[in-house]
Amino acid sequence: MKQLLTPKKLIARIGLGLAVLATVMFVCSLIGTETVSLKAVFTGLGTKAAPNPDYEIMGFRLSRIILAGLVGAALACAGVVFQVLLRNPLADPYILGISSGAGLGAIIAVISGFNWTLWGRSPIAVFAFAGALGTVWLVWFIGRLTGKFHVTGLLLAGVVVNAFFSAMMMFLTSIAKSDQVYATIFWLMGNMMEGDFLVLWIGAGCIVGGIAALFFISPQLNALSFGADDARSMGVNVARTRTIAFGIAAGITAVAVSLSGLIGFVGLVVPHGVRLVFGPDHRQLILLSGITGAIFLVIADTLSRIIVAPAQLPVGVVTAIVGGPFFLILLVKYSKKVSWLK
Amino acid sequence: MSGIIEVDNLSFGYTSETAILKDMSFNVSPGTFVAIAGPNGAGKSTLLNLMCRALTPKSGTIRIDTAAIESYDTRALAAKVAVVRQELVPIFGFSVMETVLMARTPYYGSTGFESRADREIANDALEATDTARFACRPLTSLSSGERQRVFIARALAQNSLIMLLDEPTNFLDLKHQVGIYDLLKTAQVEKGKTIVAVTHDINLASQYCDEILLLGADGSYHIGETKAVLSPEKIKEVFNVDVFVGKVGQEKFFIPLGKLAKNSRKTNS
Amino acid sequence: MAAGAAMFGPGQGRESSGTPLPDQVDRIVSLAPNITEILFAIGLGDEIAGVTLDSDYPPDAAEKPKVGTFWQPDIEAVVAARPDLVITLGFEQQKNLAERLRRIGYNGLTVNIEKVSDLFSAIERIGAATGRQLQANELISRIRTKLKQLASLVGAGPKVRVLWVVQREPLRVAGRDTFVNEMIELAGGENAIGQTMHKYPPIGSEQVIACNADVIIESAMGREDIENQRDRALQHWGKFKYLPAVTNRRIYVISGDTVSRLGPRLYEGTETIAGCLRPHLFEN
Repeated sequence: MKQLLTPKKLIARIGLGLAVLATVMFVCSLIGTETVSLKAVFTGLGTKAAPNPDYEIMGFRLSRIILAGLVGAALACAGVVFQVLLRNPLADPYILGISSGAGLGAIIAVISGFNWTLWGRSPIAVFAFAGALGTVWLVWFIGRLTGKFHVTGLLLAGVVVNAFFSAMMMFLTSIAKSDQVYATIFWLMGNMMEGDFLVLWIGAGCIVGGIAALFFISPQLNALSFGADDARSMGVNVARTRTIAFGIAAGITAVAVSLSGLIGFVGLVVPHGVRLVFGPDHRQLILLSGITGAIFLVIADTLSRIIVAPAQLPVGVVTAIVGGPFFLILLVKYSKKVSWLK
Repeated sequence: MSGIIEVDNLSFGYTSETAILKDMSFNVSPGTFVAIAGPNGAGKSTLLNLMCRALTPKSGTIRIDTAAIESYDTRALAAKVAVVRQELVPIFGFSVMETVLMARTPYYGSTGFESRADREIANDALEATDTARFACRPLTSLSSGERQRVFIARALAQNSLIMLLDEPTNFLDLKHQVGIYDLLKTAQVEKGKTIVAVTHDINLASQYCDEILLLGADGSYHIGETKAVLSPEKIKEVFNVDVFVGKVGQEKFFIPLGKLAKNSRKTNS
Repeated sequence: MAAGAAMFGPGQGRESSGTPLPDQVDRIVSLAPNITEILFAIGLGDEIAGVTLDSDYPPDAAEKPKVGTFWQPDIEAVVAARPDLVITLGFEQQKNLAERLRRIGYNGLTVNIEKVSDLFSAIERIGAATGRQLQANELISRIRTKLKQLASLVGAGPKVRVLWVVQREPLRVAGRDTFVNEMIELAGGENAIGQTMHKYPPIGSEQVIACNADVIIESAMGREDIENQRDRALQHWGKFKYLPAVTNRRIYVISGDTVSRLGPRLYEGTETIAGCLRPHLFEN
C-alpha cells in the first residue's frame, strides 16, 4: 500500500531531510554581510599579531545557524504536539500562555535591573524561561480543576492566564522607563543571540532529547488524535502519554523562548505544511516537522541577517513574510487531501 | 456461574447525590450477543463506559474474564475489550488502513511499527467489514455508514474477546443498520466474540441478540433471553409506551404506538 | 467649556493663545528633564512651578512640584501649578497634552530636541519666550566655545572608531542618526557601524568583528558599581578575541545623564566621551 509508513520509508525520509538540513546550513554559513573564504577559515584562529577574522566570523555564524536550527526544530515539534493534544489545528506552542509568561518574565528582569549573567546569557533569558514554564504549570493546574484534562478547560485556562499576564505586562510597561521598554520589546521580538558554547550544548541536549522522546510516544499520539476515549480503548495510557507529551512540548518551547525570544509562525505552520505533504502519522510528522522547522528558521535567520545590513531584522518578521505565501502555495496544491477544510 | 463480564452490586452516579445505576448484578456469558436498551437517561452509555473502565463505579465490582477490571493495565484491558463509540470524525486525515491499524498499537514491538502479522489482521478486518476497497482513502471522505464499518473493523482488528458498541446504527439507513448487525453476528458466530451493543431498536435486538438488558430510568433492570424479556408489559413498564406485538415465524416484533398512531388502541377502542 | 476656562484659566489680561508676553512669565512647567536643565541654566530656577518625575538635575529640581512623568504627564497637576507657560517636547503624547492645554487656555511652547542643532535653537526659543535672551545666548556661546576648544584639543587626526552599545541581548547599538553619534563625532570619533535605517539597529556578532571598533562604550545599568560593570563588560566582550577594542582593553561604561540626555550639559557628556577616545589627552 503506497501510503502506509514503514520503517524503511521513515529512515529514508529522515535521512534525506537531514541531508537537506546540512546543505542548507552549509550554504547559509557562507552567506553574510562579510565575505568569508573557506580556505582562510581552515587556517585556524590565528595569533594576536595576525588575527584570522574569517575564522572568528565563521565561528559566530555557525553557532548562530545551529541555534536557529535548534529553535526551529523545537517550535515545530511543540506545535505538532499541541495540535494533537488539544485536537485543534490552530494550536501553536504559545497557545497556553507561554508567550505572555515569557514576556512578563522578560520585563520583570529588565525592570529589576539585575546585572548578573549566567553562561553568557542575561537575566532576561532566565526569567523568560521561568515565566514560560511557570505559566504552563499554572494553566495545567487550573485546567485540571475543571476535571481531569478537559481540553476546553485547558484552553479556557490558557485564555484567562494569557489575559491576566498580558495585563500585568502592560502595567509594568507603563511604569517602566522608555529604554527599558524598548529593551524588552526587542528581546521579545525574536532574535538569534549567540551565547556561550555551554548554552548551545545544553539547549541542544534538551531539544534533541525532547524530540527523540516525542518520537517514542508517537504511536500513542496517533491514537490520541481520535480522542482520549478511543485512544484509551485502543490500549493507550492516555494520562501518561498526555503528561509526557505536554511536559516535553512545554519544556522545549520554554528553552526555545529563552534562547531566542518569541518567534511566531514556525510552530503553527510547519506542522501543517509537513502534514499536507506527508500525512498525519506522527511517527514521521514529529521528526520531519523538526527538520523542516530547523531548515525554515535557518533560512529566515539568514535573510534577517542580510536584508537590512548592517542592521538585522527580528527573525519573527521574516518567518511571517517568508512563510505565509509559501504555506498558501502548499495549501492550494494539496487541498484535496485536507479533510477539515471542506 | 461465571461469565466473561461479571457485574456485582454495581452502583454509579455522576454526582454524589444522584444514582443512575443502583446495585446491579448480572453476568454475560462468553460468546453471547447482548443488547442494552432503555429510555434516554437510563444509563446505557454509562454502563458501557463502566464496562471498559472509562468510568469508575461508586460501589460494586466488575470482572472481565474473571479478573477485576482495575487489575488490568491499559494494554491488557485493550486485549480484552474493544469499544466502538458514537461516530467521531478525526481532525487529521488518517486513511482507513491507518485507522484500522491503530488498533494494533498495544502490540507494536519496540520499533513502534506494525509487523506483517498486524497488517494481515487489519486486512482481514477490512475484508470482514467490506471496507477493503476504501483502504487508501482518508476516513473523512467516507459516508457515515462506511465510516461506522471502519470503526467496527478497527475494533475487530484489536482482536479482543469482547466488543462494546454504543448505538452503532444511529443515523444509518435501513440497509446499513441491517448490514452492521449482520457483521456483528458474524463476528460473534465465526470468531466467538462477546458483543454488547447499546441500541434503541428493540426489533433489531430481538432479531439478532441472544440476550437483552432492559434498563429503566429509575435504576431497575431486567436481563435475560430476548424472547423472555421482551414482552409488551415489560416494554410498557420500562419505556412507558404501548406496543403492538406481531410475529414473524418464531420471533416477535414490536411496533410502538402513540396516542394518535393509526392503530392506536385508544382510537380503535 | 469656555466659561470654565474663564473661571479656572489664566487670569485676565493675558493672551489666551500663542506665547505670552515674555516678561509676564513667572510660573513655568517643564515636561522633560532636558528642558528643566535648560531653564535652570538660563537662570529661571525660581520660576519653575512644576517638573516631571525624572527631572533630576540640577539637584534643586528635585524640590519642585511634580507633574507626572515624561511619558505620561499629569494634566491635572500641570493645571494645579497655574503655569503661565508650559514647555513640551514634540513627540505624540506631549503634543496631545500641549494641544489640550492650549484649548483650555494655557500657553505652551513646543521644542524638538533631537539633534545638537535642535538643542541650540530650543535654548534660543525658550530664552525668547521668557525674556532671557541674554542668558540664552550666553549659554549657547559657552557651550559652542567649549566644544571648539575640545575640537582643537582632539586635533584633526584619524577618527577613533566607536561602537556604542545600547543593549546586549539582543545586541543593539546607537546608529548614525542619533544625537549620541553627534557627540561621538564632536569628541573626535566616528561610529563603527555604517548608515542604517534604524536609529538603534540590532546587529549580529558578525558586524562586531567587521566594524573593527577601537573603542566600545556601554551605558551603565542599574545602581551597581561602575568598576564592576566594566570588569563584566570586559569579560563579555572578550569573546571577540581580536577586536582592537578588546585587545587594547578600551571598553568603557559611562554612567549618567550627560550622555543619555541632550541638554545644556552637552559639553560635559562630549568631554567624557572624548576622555574614553583619547585618554592620554585628559590625564591630569
